[in-house]
Amino acid sequence: MNVELEELVRRFGHTQAVAGVSLRAGPGVFGLLGPNGAGKTSLLRMMATVLPPTSGRLELLSRDPGDHAERREIRRRLGYLPQNLGYYPGFTVVDFIEYFALLKDMPPRQVPRAVVAAVERVGLGDKARSKLKTLSGGMLRRVGIAQAIVNDPELLLLDEPTAGLDPEQRVAFRTLLREIGERGTVVVSTHLVEDVGAACTEVALMDQGRIVFHGTPHQLTARGEGTGAAGDAPLERGYSAVLAAARS
Amino acid sequence: MTDRCGPPDVDLDRVWTGVAAQVWLRRPGRIERLAAQLLRSPGLARALVTTPSLLTGWVIATAAILLAGMAATWGTHTPYVALFDPAVAAAGIAYAYGPGIDPAWELSQSMAVSDRMVLLTRALAVFGLNAVFGLLASAASGAAVAVTFGWLVPMTAVCALALAAATLARSANVGVAAGMSGWVITVLAGKAIAGQVTAAVAGPSLVLPYLVFTACCGALVLYTTRIPRGTA
Repeated sequence: MNVELEELVRRFGHTQAVAGVSLRAGPGVFGLLGPNGAGKTSLLRMMATVLPPTSGRLELLSRDPGDHAERREIRRRLGYLPQNLGYYPGFTVVDFIEYFALLKDMPPRQVPRAVVAAVERVGLGDKARSKLKTLSGGMLRRVGIAQAIVNDPELLLLDEPTAGLDPEQRVAFRTLLREIGERGTVVVSTHLVEDVGAACTEVALMDQGRIVFHGTPHQLTARGEGTGAAGDAPLERGYSAVLAAARS
Repeated sequence: MTDRCGPPDVDLDRVWTGVAAQVWLRRPGRIERLAAQLLRSPGLARALVTTPSLLTGWVIATAAILLAGMAATWGTHTPYVALFDPAVAAAGIAYAYGPGIDPAWELSQSMAVSDRMVLLTRALAVFGLNAVFGLLASAASGAAVAVTFGWLVPMTAVCALALAAATLARSANVGVAAGMSGWVITVLAGKAIAGQVTAAVAGPSLVLPYLVFTACCGALVLYTTRIPRGTA
């Protein structure tokens, strides 16, 4: 298992953002669904080793992120796209991706080819030498995805990755996710149910810091059948039905 | 990328990747290459050359302040360089690394090159540059030897205070405010007690308190940037 969480809790003052989450995920694309404020981002930030848990057990790539050496090893094999990707306006696309490839401790000789491969995979070859300040929101998101995959990560964590992408880019992105999910674990946090239906092999639905559903997209769809739950698509109805049941 | 002309035994994708790698990526500058050798980490070297308070604009501003200090020293015979440099260095240290300063701070936190190393490397580089600038300006302004070197220890303490405050509050502005106000209070207190503005920089009796204070701030920085344990 690449991700193992046991009774993971994260508090911010009196607010409990993550309230005892247990989860295991192996290779594949894992969708993390939930309304705003459900705790998805906090959970993802803990998995990205950015935020330490208040309590509980967290093991990533069979290593303990609380140990300095193991944490470093996890980070070498990790790809992370935060919800708000900060960027250096004066950097070019390749400068930015190269910078994070170096910070990921990639062997310097491998970096140039890895950067080019990542840029090509997100379809930004024609913008490689453009400064980040000249790019659109969707392009910046793709730059963020490129830096996340530049080290060919075994664990890829993406927070709202399709925000700002046009439909064509979203289709290409889902294909990319499936490719990466064949070898590693991809955890995608989103509130877009259609992304989960199209790309994920497994899905967890979070509400108020807890996981209220864990199964396949097909099982989530089945939960909405015959319930009269709100939604335009079967998966959305499953999502609404589970949330309604959890809150009742 | 499959419908290309060319000899059948040539992997054009691989060739293109190699060519693009040569064309797209810039060669690191001399300073970055030297830093990579010294630090034995190209990632840390790149992080160092992107330090906000080591960028050209900041360095020019620092030099301009010290030149103004030199001019004021010549005109008034008050060692303004010695009084300015600790405050300027403290601001540089506070603005070396942190949330709000580094746009990609959140992302940097998940990197294999530890942010503590980035912080310490950047802080040391900023300190070193300010120390060299200050010494040159101080010597050029014709200050007494005690004053020329006397401000190095207080500067260390003020920088340590700025770094500790910025790290603890996770805010560069808090770091600057703490460093600046700490230094102003020290200088004014020195003047009130000893009757001269240079008392805070030239008094040998203050060296030990400054060093103890620096050590305490250093310990606070190390504690604040520690890796939380017990999560697995």
